Amino acid sequence: MGRAPGQEGTSERMSSAKSFKYGGVELTQRRHYDHEPLENAFLPINAYIPLRELDQEAKIIVTEGMEVREGQLLARGEAKGSANVHSSVPGYVRRIIRTDGERPACVVVALAGSFSILGKRPERYLWKSLNRADFIHIVQEKGLVQTSTGRPLHELLHACHDGDGQTLVLNALEMDPCRRTEEAVLVSRLPDVLDALAMLQKILKPASVTIAVDQSFPQDEKATLERQAAERGASVAVFKRRFPQDMPVLIDRALRPEGAAGAPSFVVEPTTAVALHDAVVANKAHVEVYVHVGGGAVKAPRVLKARLGTPIGELIEECGGLTGKPDRVVLNDALRGPLASSLDVPVGKTTRAVLALTREETRSARELPCVHCGACVKVCPEGLRPYMIQKLAASGRAAEAEAEGLSRCILCGACSYVCWSRIPLVRNFQIFMSQGKL
Amino acid sequence: MSATASQGISIHPPHIHDWRSTSRVTWLCGISLVPVVAWSAALYGWPAITVWLASVAAAVLSQLAVDALRHRLSLADGSAVLTGLLVATAMPPGIAPHVPAAASAFAVIIVKGVFGGQGSNWMNPALGGIAFAYANWPGAMREFIMPRMLSGVDGLSASTPLAFAKDLASSGSARIMDTIHQAGYPVSALDTSVTNVLNGSLFEHLGARLPDGYVDILLGFRPGALGESALFLVLLGSVFLLSLRLIKAEIPVAMLVVFALLSKLFGTGLPGEAVYGGDALFALGGGGVLIVAFYMATDPVTSPASRFLALFYGALIGTLSYLFRRWGGHPEGVAYAVLIANVVMPTLERRVDPLFRGLARRRPA
Repeated sequence: MGRAPGQEGTSERMSSAKSFKYGGVELTQRRHYDHEPLENAFLPINAYIPLRELDQEAKIIVTEGMEVREGQLLARGEAKGSANVHSSVPGYVRRIIRTDGERPACVVVALAGSFSILGKRPERYLWKSLNRADFIHIVQEKGLVQTSTGRPLHELLHACHDGDGQTLVLNALEMDPCRRTEEAVLVSRLPDVLDALAMLQKILKPASVTIAVDQSFPQDEKATLERQAAERGASVAVFKRRFPQDMPVLIDRALRPEGAAGAPSFVVEPTTAVALHDAVVANKAHVEVYVHVGGGAVKAPRVLKARLGTPIGELIEECGGLTGKPDRVVLNDALRGPLASSLDVPVGKTTRAVLALTREETRSARELPCVHCGACVKVCPEGLRPYMIQKLAASGRAAEAEAEGLSRCILCGACSYVCWSRIPLVRNFQIFMSQGKL
Repeated sequence: MSATASQGISIHPPHIHDWRSTSRVTWLCGISLVPVVAWSAALYGWPAITVWLASVAAAVLSQLAVDALRHRLSLADGSAVLTGLLVATAMPPGIAPHVPAAASAFAVIIVKGVFGGQGSNWMNPALGGIAFAYANWPGAMREFIMPRMLSGVDGLSASTPLAFAKDLASSGSARIMDTIHQAGYPVSALDTSVTNVLNGSLFEHLGARLPDGYVDILLGFRPGALGESALFLVLLGSVFLLSLRLIKAEIPVAMLVVFALLSKLFGTGLPGEAVYGGDALFALGGGGVLIVAFYMATDPVTSPASRFLALFYGALIGTLSYLFRRWGGHPEGVAYAVLIANVVMPTLERRVDPLFRGLARRRPA
């Protein structure tokens, strides 16, 4: 378990590794991580279960003081964009916190009583006879959410139709140098992930199935992965460690033959896949979340299986606590994720990492005026000139910013990562886009 | 964890960054000049040290004055110190301290401060200051002294090899270096011995001969501006900058290749040249070409952001430098070449860069 700043690089350069054409940042340095069995985090005394991942909140169907079982429905995802929310622990509803601005509303469940499902051996449900509608029903019922986007999985599955000829991609790429959740889940729960892929094959009837891993994927595990994938008709594609390769749009572009049209690839992550597997096979709601607690300021970084609603501070405590005051604590992704407003923030369905980053890792500095260094131009995978877009849009010249390609920006964050002057370019572009005509 | 937000640090993603930051890069550029400062101090003694000090001190004080007016301290970004150092590189040692001080103050206050501080200037501040000094003190800027290390005394006046060669009438010898040494230009003993060794061990076998004097140029054993007094250290600094990718290699490469080629093909206009036999090595070794190529033409603020345009920009500077050197009145024409390129750069970026990008990065929509 590499808590020291020990880092590993990719020893080999695979010429066959797939990638995108222009730009990108070589983030070959990764924090070292040994594959140990994933551990279960302690149960929270109070689980702060959030009612939304995106904008739409699920409708609460419990009242304060009510006793709830583990996996019992707390709120129903009625509106588009919301998913069912279940209790992650047995106990009673201590409080219902209404939304307060930034933070989502949540149901506080105090731990009490006995375990009905999650602590026991899972029953093995024979899923091979289920059809597309059955699967989507289970997915909706169990409140599954795509862990990378927060969108309800049943809506995504609904949107895809038979015979689209699309590719099903299992995305185990993590270009973030601090996070290894997907890789750890793929390695330690490989049979379940492959089962989930088989389920998705039944639902989507894709033309092909590809498992995307990167060059630093451990060699022994890769051989196993390739053998087992081949048995199920899936192929393994190796990608370069080049940020932002983990974006679905760039994976799709790399897998697609030059100039070929067709429906975009359906991209899921191993963490979403195991949630699907557990929902179908073990009748579990989406209440377990794999979280990589890491970053240089955490004593013993590891991947934990945490219950929905566990405050992130408790997870950090479980990993030995902090070695000092971190420069910042970040959720999900050091390059694109949000800042954690406090250590009381609960784990949500999309929380894949809690990263306590040191000053050496963040290399943050005061925002300065653009010095025109051209680093953003060099790394933009879309071949845009981010500094020019920023200059034009910031001075209110919307039409010219549009002509520079503002709407072609895929918001990958490469330009903001390399910006000498630490200008939050992507954040600004999001604002410019949402303002529309400015 | 939003405690950092108050210090002007973004709280938005990304939360990790590349190690290069504006101020770190600026300081590293300054640090890469330290060997040049040290070597010139060894060569000239106090006449050199006072110039460096006057220039840097004036730049820092001017920056403080600008900051006081704008209510924002920006000394930490290092740009004032770097500007002061770069202004001093063009100064002859022994010049009255008010000249570098005035040039630095002009650079920091007028060229940079008035236009809105770092990032907003449309002209390289250091070169602006240098041009200011050439315009106001043309005599003092061209009065050079012999290095104390050679002459043994401070302030023995002499002329640079380039100025010396310009004043010579043609004598028909094939190499400029031979010509100027026949005309009585001194050569150091170190140069003679190193050149002999090089000729005996290497060039002879290649059927070539290195005339005396080039080693002197490289080591600064001849009169010249402070930045020219250690060309080998300038080259070392450029290796440092290029290897850390702090400057765009395209700019100096295009500039020097074009400049050297033109000098080779059409001659440097100096006496004793055969047609198509211009002495490119001599041309590169004088007039501050190297320090301008690596330290001033590459200033990110006033050079193109994209690499395609950087090639174009470097070639433009190379061409203009050659024209100014060949037919212009002053050996320091390369400074004006960069300033002119600075002025046309925004237009190039607006009009020409999209064309390059269209060709290079066409993608089906």
